[in-house]
Amino acid sequence: MSLLRQVWSWFFNSAHWHGSNGIPVRLAEHVQISAESVVIGAAIALPVGILLGHYGRFGNLAINISNTGRAIPSFGLLVVAFQIFGLGDGPIILALTALAIPPMVTNSYVALREVDPDVKDAARGMGYRDLAQLLRVELPLAVPLIMAGIRTSAVQVVATATLAAIIAGGGLGRYIVDGYATQKYDVMVVGAVLVAALALATEVSLWGLQQVLVPRGIRLLKAPASRKGTTFKTA
Amino acid sequence: MIRKTGSTWFIAALTVLVTAAVACGGTTSPGTTSKGTITVAGFNFPESSILAELYGQALAHDGYTVNYKLLLGTREVVAPAIKSGQIDLYPGYAATELEYYNSGAGEATGDVTATTAKLNGHLQSLGLEALTPSAAVDQNAFAVTKATATKYSLTKLSDLTPIGNQLVLGAGPECPTRPFCQPGLKTTYGITFKDFKALDTDGPLTRAAFKNGSIQVGLVFSSDADLNQLGLVVLQDDKHLENADNVVPIIRQTVATSEVSTVLNKIDAGLTTADLVTMNGQVELLHQDADAVAAAYLQQHKFFS
Repeated sequence: MSLLRQVWSWFFNSAHWHGSNGIPVRLAEHVQISAESVVIGAAIALPVGILLGHYGRFGNLAINISNTGRAIPSFGLLVVAFQIFGLGDGPIILALTALAIPPMVTNSYVALREVDPDVKDAARGMGYRDLAQLLRVELPLAVPLIMAGIRTSAVQVVATATLAAIIAGGGLGRYIVDGYATQKYDVMVVGAVLVAALALATEVSLWGLQQVLVPRGIRLLKAPASRKGTTFKTA
Repeated sequence: MIRKTGSTWFIAALTVLVTAAVACGGTTSPGTTSKGTITVAGFNFPESSILAELYGQALAHDGYTVNYKLLLGTREVVAPAIKSGQIDLYPGYAATELEYYNSGAGEATGDVTATTAKLNGHLQSLGLEALTPSAAVDQNAFAVTKATATKYSLTKLSDLTPIGNQLVLGAGPECPTRPFCQPGLKTTYGITFKDFKALDTDGPLTRAAFKNGSIQVGLVFSSDADLNQLGLVVLQDDKHLENADNVVPIIRQTVATSEVSTVLNKIDAGLTTADLVTMNGQVELLHQDADAVAAAYLQQHKFFS
């Protein structure tokens, strides 16, 4: 109980809310490295997954290659990258990007494959060309699964970004590593609580984004039967 | 360029080996009667092997038969060995030895004479003795790059007092809470740094941080092999913040005749921290053998003449 009280009072000490080791700075660093990694990872993974899913080729190959990314331990990659790039955000972003890619490739590939062939035929029949079919028919239908991949990646990345502190980076991992080094277990718990909270916040906010992105038609499909009837009438 | 320096070092290493062979030949020449056998031990790191070789070769030159037990282990292995008489001599470090033999009572200070005197107080009942400590130290030290040293004309830690607020300190994450580190620099020297960067204690992160300029002052050990190679300058601890870990021979009283003491004291009187850095560099970075490096040092400083 006394540990929890120490953690509680740590949060209420105003000294811990500013300066280069204050919560706002560490939180911002954590969000920054996580966001950069997820964005870079998405820029690589999504086009690959979407195109392969759309054309239905080399899917197994791509998924297997990107899945080896899951087998590489982030910590090992981080240490090797540190030897190559030295101090800075480079190594951690490389390690986190490698972690972010596999779920997004797999999910976006599956999302595109799972689009109902009848819908694709219908699109073709109505005169959609290939690109228009992909952008205006398949992608909107694939949004829920693609977003699920992004969410998985982002939560993993936020949780793993704590490793940055091991190679003298910033972020919330600083509290865990420094707390361990000085045997201040309250500080370690503070770090763990903050990372967990940030991971939850990431999940919730991306879920919110997904609600906005998912086309109304799919939302209606998933709506309860009672509401379905009424909404279809107004649609 | 690298190839060229490589071959230069290779030739240097060969020269060292040859001189070592000559030196050894000299000491063990037939017809010399031994003055007795002395067993010299060292801890399990290169610097200790070099020091043990320095002591051992000097004693061998003086006519003793020397057995070596190098890389014997940690102090937890070496100290019981000397207490039981399995070894006769090892190169110790004053403050650390004191804190070992007094079971961590915290008596060690930055004053090497006082620290050695207290150490001898604890060693006496064990039949052991610490001889005269050397000026050479292996202790926590704060380093800056040559560029920083030139820019602010820094040679000692007290030079940092007026300009500390422009510099970033880097060390292990525990530094802000340890008396020998950030708090000690504040109370003893009045240095307040612009910021602190948590790295590691004298490891690769500290070296990388010096390299990319994210720190200007970093914690190292004073006799680190790569200080010269990295272009780092250790600032002199002029107010004795750090415990006096000067090199000092720990020897069994029965072995410590005045002749043996004279030989060992002569080595320690000549040895400097810079010598340690150089010799550690030859062993750890150029992969020369500790005995050859020690022999070359003794040759160069005319201990064999």
